[in-house]
Amino acid sequence: MLSRSAERLYWLARYLERTENIARLVSVHMNLLMDLPRGVEMGWRQLIRINTSEQEFYEKNNVANERNITRFLLADVSYSGSLFSSLIAARENIRTSRELLPDEAWEQVNEMYLFVKNNLETVVNRRHRVLFLNEILKGCQRFTGLLSGYMSHNHPYRFIRLGRNIERADMTSRILDLASLLLSESRSDEMRQYETILWMNILKSLNALLMYRQQMRSRVKGDDVLNFLLLDTNLPRSVSCCIAEMFFCISKLPNNDELLLKLIELESYVQAIDTRQTTQQQLRIILDGLQNKLGGLHGLIADNWFLRTAEE
Amino acid sequence: MKSIWKNYKTDIAYDELMYSEFQSRPVSHSLCQYLNSLKKEDIDKRKIAAELAIMEMGISFTVYSDEGNIDRAWPFDIIPRIIDAREWRIIEKGLKQRLTALNCFISDVYSEQAFIKAGKMPGEIINSSKNFRKECIGMKPRHNVWANICGTDLVRDKDGIMYVLEDNLRVPSGVSYMLENRVITKRVFPELLQDIDIEPIDDYPTHLHDMLSSIAPHQNGQVTCVVLTPGIYNSAYFEHAYLAQQIGAQLVEGKDLVVNDDDCVYMRTIDGLEKVDVIYRRIDDDFLDPEVFRKDSTLGVRGLMRAWKACNVALANAPGAGVADDKVVYAYVPEMIRYYLNEEPILPNVPTYLCSNKEDLDYVLKHLAELVVKPANESGGYGMLVGPHATAKEVENFRKIIQEDPRNYIAQPTLSISTAPTLCRGKLEPRHIDLRPFILQGEKTFVTAGGLTRVALRKGSLVVNSSQGGGSKDTWIINMEGS
Repeated sequence: MLSRSAERLYWLARYLERTENIARLVSVHMNLLMDLPRGVEMGWRQLIRINTSEQEFYEKNNVANERNITRFLLADVSYSGSLFSSLIAARENIRTSRELLPDEAWEQVNEMYLFVKNNLETVVNRRHRVLFLNEILKGCQRFTGLLSGYMSHNHPYRFIRLGRNIERADMTSRILDLASLLLSESRSDEMRQYETILWMNILKSLNALLMYRQQMRSRVKGDDVLNFLLLDTNLPRSVSCCIAEMFFCISKLPNNDELLLKLIELESYVQAIDTRQTTQQQLRIILDGLQNKLGGLHGLIADNWFLRTAEE
Repeated sequence: MKSIWKNYKTDIAYDELMYSEFQSRPVSHSLCQYLNSLKKEDIDKRKIAAELAIMEMGISFTVYSDEGNIDRAWPFDIIPRIIDAREWRIIEKGLKQRLTALNCFISDVYSEQAFIKAGKMPGEIINSSKNFRKECIGMKPRHNVWANICGTDLVRDKDGIMYVLEDNLRVPSGVSYMLENRVITKRVFPELLQDIDIEPIDDYPTHLHDMLSSIAPHQNGQVTCVVLTPGIYNSAYFEHAYLAQQIGAQLVEGKDLVVNDDDCVYMRTIDGLEKVDVIYRRIDDDFLDPEVFRKDSTLGVRGLMRAWKACNVALANAPGAGVADDKVVYAYVPEMIRYYLNEEPILPNVPTYLCSNKEDLDYVLKHLAELVVKPANESGGYGMLVGPHATAKEVENFRKIIQEDPRNYIAQPTLSISTAPTLCRGKLEPRHIDLRPFILQGEKTFVTAGGLTRVALRKGSLVVNSSQGGGSKDTWIINMEGS
């Protein structure tokens, strides 16, 4: 398999996962805000905090309201972290790797792209936005499903899975980062009142509420949620599970020794997190560390398998 | 017949499907019957369905413009062009004959030059050809075939005869669109295809793969083929990716390949370097290898010519094959067929005036306003003059250009190229068309059943190139026997 193709498929998967994550995040958040009374601290601004894109947002917008934030996150092509930008990047990567994938995979991504392009204006309207986001979520799942059913689970497939899981782990850690804000001591009494709803919301944004209930068989509690999303070995979007998936892919790829060691180290780092013993401040530092380590892992993957153009 | 045919004109040129507004040719009888059974809205719906399919399948080509490169949807007309299989068998034979002679000629040019020594062609033509590559002298590609993939442009004049307009021997494109056009037609007119005996075309990738394998330098074990593309900004990138996928080859760019000290070509993979046996290159000679050709090329692979000359890798088409893809050389193809094959040409050339001949030049300058003048080495329909459609100023301009560089220009009578019914705003109107069949030659020779029909979508226009307002049609070779 060509190094360049490996790189493109990896990024294809990362961008598509990102597309899906943004869609789910906005969708869940919208539902949450409908449940909360007006005036609690939780607002649309939280969404741009997750992506650490507050600065860029304020360069382009004056007010952090629903209209501006959803437009920024979903439709703004000049913001590289937006849903549309991610989808464009995914499409570009698949367009240049078509020889490795079933036709349907390309058509699926292309269809989603055309859909978003033709419906960009509708996202400011709540009702239309719901339909828009649903379409994206379904499209991303169709893509994953058809690859799983139509494609040999070969090296190209492994790079797609690898990209998906590193992006997923990153997103989960960012959402937990946001969640840790909810633990802050300075939160208002009103906020405490809605805590359960907020934690449920966090679970939903990772499609984990049902699985949490089955696993924990208890009411939704902050510590348990954090534990579940970091350490559960069966939940596809838990950090541990993503690491296990990456381990599986990498173990079947060539020249993998260094990477496997790195993953083992990452796994122990995650296993050692004790959410009951940490303060909100400590947790944020730990999660920051996790994100840095994921960044390091990405660098190592790129060095190991991707095309280094500087070679000549 | 119903309103879609109203005022359909068949007096402009030979019409491929119709004798007149009221009478179809035998080949198009079933199609016309079917079209007439549809309501006007139904036809519009099919057209929209086809456009949608093209968008979703992402069939596109890239247009260069001032505002950057734009990926445009492939313009497709849903009404197919039809050719009788009995006629096609003869054309097919003619195409094989022609490519065989051309390959004999290229081999000869890079070895003894017997054709020239026999006085059949002035040696000056070769020596002054941009596409003659001295570096190729003495090379012997497998099966003595230099042009493995050829796209020959055919047009039918008002006399009903198919003429060869040009032979594209460098990197002819369009075959993916031919294949996709059929896929779309199957989606849009599934009922119709069931009832008519149309020759299938989807075996092309298999033949392409077989041909590429047959030219590999080593015939033991598995052959690694790659498609070498200039990259995503090339107008035919869609096709490069499509063909690579269809033949199960890696699609590579220059930077994916490396030639090592052993003069072998390798690709950079996640396992390290992997040896490459055959390269279907979609890059012009000029950019192929900065060591030998253009030094500033970033698209090619340093050392590729070394590897090719050492017979460690096969290139399709072989470097230097373009020497026969010169509109001056074109004029000598009938003579080549007689000389190398001892046969009479099956497909005629369009009469051609070579501006390098004093006599021809005088004629051309005198009749400029009636002729089509083409540069010898351009493709894509660029830099040509269509006399009858040009302004007096354009004609005068061209007069100067030709006189400055007569070797580089040829002229041909303006053909009245044939038309076919094309859907234009809900009505059928005649539009000019050509045909590009694709011929593969390696160990064996293969011709596609039909080819890519290109159509000039603008009324009266003769330019079929997609970069200049052309579209395409599905092409049916149909078997009339038993119907």
